[in-house]
Amino acid sequence: MKHRMISLTLASLAALTASQAFAQYKGPKVTITYLHGFTGADRPVMEALIKRFNETHPNIVVRGQAQPWTTTWQQLPALVASGRAPDVVVINEDQITGFIARGALSPLSSADLKAAGIDKNRFYKPLFQTADYKGQSYGLPVSSVAYVMFYNKDLMKKVGLDPNKPPQTRAEFLKAAQACTVDKAGKKAGEQGFNPKNLDTWGVSLYNNWVGARAAYAAILQNGSSLVDKNLNAAFNSPQAVEAVQFLVDLVTKYNVARPNSTEEAELAAFSQGKVCMFPSGQWYLDRFEQQKMNFGVAFFPRIGGSKQDAAWGGSSHLTLPKQRPNYDKNKRAAALEFMNWLTLPAQNLTWTETGSLPTMSAVAKDKKFADKPIAGVFSKLSNIYATSGFPWGGQVLVPFDNAWENAYLGKKSVKKALDDGVNDSNKQVAQARKSFQ
Amino acid sequence: MSTALPRRRPGYGQLNDSNPLVPYLYLLPHAIFFFVFVIYPVGYGVYVSLHRWDLLSESRPFVGLEYYRALFDFSTPQAQFFWKSLLNTTFFTVISVPLLVATSLGLALLLNRPILGRAFFRAVFFLPGVLTVSVMGILWRWIFDNQIGLVNAIRTDLFGNQPIPFLTTEGLAWLPIIIGTVWWTIGFNMTLYLAALGNISRSYYEAAEIDGAGTWAKFRFITLPLLAPITLFVTVTTVLASFQLFGQTLVITNGGPSRSTQSVIQFITEEAFTNYQFSSAAAMSFVFGLAMLIFTYLQFKIMARDAKGGS
Repeated sequence: MKHRMISLTLASLAALTASQAFAQYKGPKVTITYLHGFTGADRPVMEALIKRFNETHPNIVVRGQAQPWTTTWQQLPALVASGRAPDVVVINEDQITGFIARGALSPLSSADLKAAGIDKNRFYKPLFQTADYKGQSYGLPVSSVAYVMFYNKDLMKKVGLDPNKPPQTRAEFLKAAQACTVDKAGKKAGEQGFNPKNLDTWGVSLYNNWVGARAAYAAILQNGSSLVDKNLNAAFNSPQAVEAVQFLVDLVTKYNVARPNSTEEAELAAFSQGKVCMFPSGQWYLDRFEQQKMNFGVAFFPRIGGSKQDAAWGGSSHLTLPKQRPNYDKNKRAAALEFMNWLTLPAQNLTWTETGSLPTMSAVAKDKKFADKPIAGVFSKLSNIYATSGFPWGGQVLVPFDNAWENAYLGKKSVKKALDDGVNDSNKQVAQARKSFQ
Repeated sequence: MSTALPRRRPGYGQLNDSNPLVPYLYLLPHAIFFFVFVIYPVGYGVYVSLHRWDLLSESRPFVGLEYYRALFDFSTPQAQFFWKSLLNTTFFTVISVPLLVATSLGLALLLNRPILGRAFFRAVFFLPGVLTVSVMGILWRWIFDNQIGLVNAIRTDLFGNQPIPFLTTEGLAWLPIIIGTVWWTIGFNMTLYLAALGNISRSYYEAAEIDGAGTWAKFRFITLPLLAPITLFVTVTTVLASFQLFGQTLVITNGGPSRSTQSVIQFITEEAFTNYQFSSAAAMSFVFGLAMLIFTYLQFKIMARDAKGGS
């Protein structure tokens, strides 16, 4: 009900922005197929949007089809190869460059964008560039999630920190984390007799899985480095990367403000129970903490990796046009572009944020409905969210990277060795992958 | 072929039992499925493994045995991780199969007696088997969580010990996987054993009692030998199921820490659908399949001999 109300009120707004931006599709009536992976609670929202589009565009019929993402990744190559690909497919940031490099997608030329009235400057720049490869654009961002830092306001107040001023730099962060860390005997981190093995509350959540590894990713970017070098070979063992990840590991081993050997579930439970001050994780936990009526805040991931730039990991979904057979109907392509543009306009994006997605453009982030929401704390820096994208060999780089973080965090290897080994593993596989992308 | 047939045979036009085509027609439905779903995919798999293959690429050059060779060249990550994951899977099989066979036999023996609530207990042990692997996996991951798991909660809250990081310690990470798998699948083997126990005639035991045989002797010389065929069946199917380990490690540890619990199937899936190296994954599947064939053959040889010798 809530969704319908919002989309109805926004319909007029959508019509307004649409009419001023471009001429609508004028060709004969066409039906286009639209394949996406929004199969959960986000499905009814997407279906309502499709319905809205069909109602307002009499000569385009969009047939939406929802199926699990992994099924799409497995089917898309066969569909493209046989010339039976859907007209529009949503592809996620970790898959998109791979599909581009393998030739599954058709580029969005500047003529395409212009004809459909798509202004790429309305999106956050790094978010839009997630679907870029070798100077060409291949998709429009329709949904976005990101790594943020949740913090417990009650706990921060209790240890004498300002609950409305979450830390932003490495020094502030460490200070806050140390203030939060108290053992069961009431001793603070660094104090004489402090027992790090018997913590009552602690500063920050770090943990072992791929979600945990996103803290390391952010830290590396913040320190001015990256996962890959300019030739797209793995390079997450640069001196800056090692320095950034070392600080995270030091939080466990040197400063004792994070627990060793922890899991995402354990840290999530600890944060829910008010045991840990700062919980960096996906913004998708927002709903859970709101329902729990926790007194919490959401901040952009502080610059703990370095002071070069603000950065956090983000995931995104992009509307793309798969490669079609040679005699593909031009009208379908035009209609598909029209649909892609409409679905990513501010009005529709605002509706889409109901699903928990972050705004994909600043025009939406400014909407007053977010003003009192905890998530608004990160909105000023949404243009500093970076997806793991841009290299076609996603698995070959990300799996070794996640393993490297795990080895470093769990103390199985020194940070330098863990990252070196990861890069070594990764580049051997990248070399093999290169042959298949020729 | 038709010239070789005796002339008095009826023609192919008449569809009665003496038509030489009849047996083949009976086999045809199965043969179609067999070719479409077994022979053709296997043949296609071989083709994929011998080419640098991607559905989307314009050229799919023939590379011969390159991907097979890579599996025996230990400077490649493929060889390293493939054999490591095969070793992991073998370790799991070696530990879990005796547990799954022995405990299910033990349970069946207990529940074969006329005890109170027998049907209830049979149901209780069978029930976990109806859960999906993800439910079972999450349950055991929670029980063994490094910090908040039930096992560690008992250790820390009741006994004041330090928590043990089960999920992130090489070796220990197998505990939730193996215990969970036994809990999850034991009911099926138990049911097979119960059925087999029900078929053993009481008269053997009565005769043995007259000869003065005790409980152990009756078990050793009557029950066990008569269960030999079902033990062979249970063992072979359990070994094959154990080699196909996938869901449990995926959900509980995701193959970690440091790939120490990654199963072969999981690694092959990673190579195919995360790394998009289909040819390499196909080659691994065939090497793995061959290893399993040899293993099963040996097992049949050894156990069939035992089954014969024991009875």
